Amino acid sequence: MIIANRKTVEEIKESLKAYKKVLTVGCGGCTAVCMAGGMKEVNDLNTQLDILFKDDKVVFQINGAVVERQCEVPYLAELDEIVKPYDAILSMACGAGVQFLAERYPDKPVFPALNTVFVGVNKDIGWYEERCKSCGECVLGMTGGICPITMCAKGLLNGPCGGPQDGHCEANSEADCAWIKIYERLKAQGRLDNILKITPAREWQDQVQGSLVLDKFRDKYSKKETK
Amino acid sequence: MSEHDLKPINIDQIRALLKEKEAGMKLRLAACAGCTLCAESCFMFMNKGKGQDPQFMPSFKVLNTLGKLYRKRGKVSRAELEQMRKLLWSNCALCERCYCPLGVDLPNMIAFARKILRSQEIEADGQQAPEKKEVSK
Amino acid sequence: MKSDSNLEKVLTSGAFAVTGELGPPRGADPAIVKEKAQFLKGRVDAVNITDNQTAMVRMASWAASILALQEGLEPNYQMVCRDRNRIAMQSDILGAASVGIKTMLCLSGDHQSFGDHPKAKKVYDIDSIQLIQMVKKMRDESKFQGGADITKPPRIFIGAVENPFGQPYDFRVYRLAKKIAAGADFIQTQCIYNMERFREWVKQANDMGLTEKVYILAGVTPMKSLKMALYMKNSVAGLDVPDWVIKRLEGVTDKKKVADEGIKIACEQIEEFKTMKGVAGVHLMPIEWEHKVPEITERAKLLPRPTFPAEPAPAPAA
Repeated sequence: MIIANRKTVEEIKESLKAYKKVLTVGCGGCTAVCMAGGMKEVNDLNTQLDILFKDDKVVFQINGAVVERQCEVPYLAELDEIVKPYDAILSMACGAGVQFLAERYPDKPVFPALNTVFVGVNKDIGWYEERCKSCGECVLGMTGGICPITMCAKGLLNGPCGGPQDGHCEANSEADCAWIKIYERLKAQGRLDNILKITPAREWQDQVQGSLVLDKFRDKYSKKETK
Repeated sequence: MSEHDLKPINIDQIRALLKEKEAGMKLRLAACAGCTLCAESCFMFMNKGKGQDPQFMPSFKVLNTLGKLYRKRGKVSRAELEQMRKLLWSNCALCERCYCPLGVDLPNMIAFARKILRSQEIEADGQQAPEKKEVSK
Repeated sequence: MKSDSNLEKVLTSGAFAVTGELGPPRGADPAIVKEKAQFLKGRVDAVNITDNQTAMVRMASWAASILALQEGLEPNYQMVCRDRNRIAMQSDILGAASVGIKTMLCLSGDHQSFGDHPKAKKVYDIDSIQLIQMVKKMRDESKFQGGADITKPPRIFIGAVENPFGQPYDFRVYRLAKKIAAGADFIQTQCIYNMERFREWVKQANDMGLTEKVYILAGVTPMKSLKMALYMKNSVAGLDVPDWVIKRLEGVTDKKKVADEGIKIACEQIEEFKTMKGVAGVHLMPIEWEHKVPEITERAKLLPRPTFPAEPAPAPAA
């Protein structure tokens, strides 16, 4: 899932200082699950901002609302009436949700309360690790289920480099060298052949904004051809 | 008991929310024929519920949360809301795969029920309702 | 001849090759490169010109390579994968070939977090093995990586690096095989101290037939001091400094003679490399000690270096 982390309250406050009535919108999806932008976080943040603006003796009103997801129109649409009286919106969704919200209400300044950091897994409560870079060309089958683009600091496809120290990555001493792990996993599965041959240079897929329409819906969104 | 447990439910607030979508929701709730086709299309039911546990059936989830809220006209206890929380969050991922041959929009109803619970500061499993404490600077 | 480079000529003639190293300065002064070049002239067959080593910005390796050429040295133009994408790399390779650079070394490069711009956007468009493949394709097929034709192909002698002591240890000789399959003509290793383990690695390479396909230059870095030896033993990854090296340095009574002992050890290693099957030369990396290259090459009996008279120009058409 998408993992995001709240910006500092100082940074958020700074971005809102020109506004008097702000609506903080939380999200019930990914950011709620990673405890960054759910209902609780909306309330906590609003309480903090309220106090900080009061300290500055500035008139400032902040309220909260939560929608199921900010990345889906039907849920986002619930905000239509609610946002009207506010002069700015603070979104606690991931970057995609913030943009969707900003698109829907283009006359309202929209600010992100979070930094979206990665696509990752939940190792345990409050502990998240990146696992995927959305590169668009998954080779996990070849590497025994360990992503070389994400887990190798250099994104090597024919690793390892000469750098591992005690099995750790030269760039991140807390991380294991992904290629040592790939080697060990494939060896244990009797599939070392995969990395004995050369993986040629890749055609990187993330060149422009990604867009995907499923085949079964293609007709729905394409213009009907005139006969 | 924490202050949270003693906090009274704001029934008026629940009623106001229920009223907003009353016509449509009641129609959908009444439409359920108990055919269980929605269950077969639900990942939670087929996996976690092992294809048998009614607590994971979309129809069950909706009837025992939103359905109950309408039946009791919003007059529910915090304990009852806690039961609904389990059905709405633990037992449902809102993946929107559930299919109803009568066209009942199940995800919409789950989302609406969640909204009502949130208005009473109840959210997903593991999340706690915010404490009304002064936040230190 | 793939490139007519001096290093290629030395290696193909069967002579024991010697390469050195030159790190460009962190400034625009060409005099520094020329100064360092003086210690290497006539003592090495080619000199590695490092590419933003440890991710610290330095004068470009292509530029320092040109300065080395002007000083009568053959540069071994290093290129790392960290900072450039394939477009820039191929462009640089054509540029290098156009000004007389004939030897290059393909490396992954130290991660940018080590350097003075740790948050610079990382590139790593291709890795070192893919880079070797790319240069080979440019040279032998006259094609760019993307497939289009090159009007005049670069003639480059292709080098790579391998660390016999890197992890995972069992995989290292297979990685060597991959680099050879990709098109490496010569390999330089990281500096060696554990001769026993190195002999094992070379034997594996010999048994796999790899040493018939590539020239291996063994890395040698003389120990300047006991402190240096201890540091390299304990704090530098991928190096294996055995106890006997420490003991020998400790055993020197006159502290001023420790450096001399370090050179002595290096010379003993070089003697063994000269006759080791599968080893075609040495790569000298006297860290922070470049001015010692004349003394080291002298004492290791590596001089004079072989020279090859320039081929006479073809007779003009009648």
